Amino acid sequence: MLKKALLTLVALSTLCGSAWAETRIVFATDATWPPMEFVNGQKEIVGFAIDFLKAAGKEAGFTPVFKNTAWDGIFAGLAVGKYDAISSSVSITEERKKAMDFSEPYFTVHQALIVNKASTVKSLADLKGKKVGGQIGTTGYFAIKAADGLVPKSYDEIGLAMEDLNVGRIDAVVCDDPVAANYALDKYKEKLKIAAVLKTDKVESYGFAVKKGNKKILDLLNKGIEAVRAKGIDQELKKKWIGQ
Amino acid sequence: MSEQEKIIDIGDGAAIPDPRDKGLFSAWRIALIGTISLLVILPLAKPDPYAKILRFVPDGIWVTFEVTIASISLALIIGLLTGLGRISKNRYINLAASLYVEVVRGIPLLVQLFYIYFALGRIVRVPDIVAAVIAMSFCYGAYMGEVFRAGIKSIDFGQTEASLSLGFNRRQTMAYVILPQAWRTILPPVGNEFIALLKDTSLVSILAVADILRRGREYASESFNYFETYTMIALIYLLITLVLSKLISNMEHRLSHYERR
Repeated sequence: MLKKALLTLVALSTLCGSAWAETRIVFATDATWPPMEFVNGQKEIVGFAIDFLKAAGKEAGFTPVFKNTAWDGIFAGLAVGKYDAISSSVSITEERKKAMDFSEPYFTVHQALIVNKASTVKSLADLKGKKVGGQIGTTGYFAIKAADGLVPKSYDEIGLAMEDLNVGRIDAVVCDDPVAANYALDKYKEKLKIAAVLKTDKVESYGFAVKKGNKKILDLLNKGIEAVRAKGIDQELKKKWIGQ
Repeated sequence: MSEQEKIIDIGDGAAIPDPRDKGLFSAWRIALIGTISLLVILPLAKPDPYAKILRFVPDGIWVTFEVTIASISLALIIGLLTGLGRISKNRYINLAASLYVEVVRGIPLLVQLFYIYFALGRIVRVPDIVAAVIAMSFCYGAYMGEVFRAGIKSIDFGQTEASLSLGFNRRQTMAYVILPQAWRTILPPVGNEFIALLKDTSLVSILAVADILRRGREYASESFNYFETYTMIALIYLLITLVLSKLISNMEHRLSHYERR
């Protein structure tokens, strides 16, 4: 009897699975980027982008599934089809556009410079010859490399860079401002501060990345993003996760 | 000796020797020639990205060597002390050395690296490379200790007896009689540990130390040329270890003339 019930359950679940498959979108996310996407105390992946996609899915008719993936290699996984899309605070850049397609932007960011509380540094120019850290392959790290006279240092996760800054192995960290705020104003608020927001002439925005030419998923995502915007859900989520 | 019992010679060449083979087609030679030709042909045939990658990583190679040589030197010292401690007649020294080996062997190197790097960071302020070297040599010191212990143990006890009967004390026996002979047994495994350590230094890239692998990852993360980058990284490591393994096998060969006598 129990066996039968179990078998029915298995059969049912596989059926449901196939029914789901049409609208299930698997997103790779490097959940080390609070408050955009991170793992909470209950081991769940949460954050602004996660809530955003859940809301977008409700509007456009898809179920987002999140797969925690290391940042280094996240784009390679997309190219070989390990997942359908990337939701990992990916800034839309010209170089990346050559390798993948992006949804409409869903969040605008700036690069913030974080230093120790005692530091007098006000800009990247004050850091000549000093070690500055960022996460490998992020726009923050590219900004460090592009600046003159710095010693760039790349980390696998932004949290490791923050810890190295905290103990004084490096002199500054550059990353997206919501993340900078999370570390400097919350986790390390006794030790770190945001020294400056780097000025650029270009607007930097996050987009969801899909494999080049995957129009089906891109359309679904764009439909969802538009609906979330129209209903003002994104403003609510900003209040919830970022507090502004 | 029957055909089945033919000694299978493990060396640079094919494991089963053939009289027609003059040793030109050894596994080592094929690997070396293949590696070098790929390292030359790929950048020439497709300068973008292969030549660019080759220009990007050299400072990483330097860092890898720096970490390897510093770590092996420290590990040799720690290993000698640990090895002597492990055979010490003093109960407490013996216990301390054994405890160190037990603890280190029971923790994965990656975990040790993270632990020492971040724990050390909270206590003393050391640069990243120094932290990486401390972590690597702390781990490899334990392995080296076992190598030294085995080497010393391999010397017949008659040597010690003879030396003591000639009026040497225990320390002199160790320094002038046992260690010079044990060195022959110790050197080959030390060579292997050296190569293993060089390969394991790729782990320090997670500590943001800019070694070969980290430089490669930086290149790949910016250019998205994952396949090409990791091909070159693998080839560079292979070339280095092939050359080193040859040097070590030559050294072993030179040492083995005592046994042939």
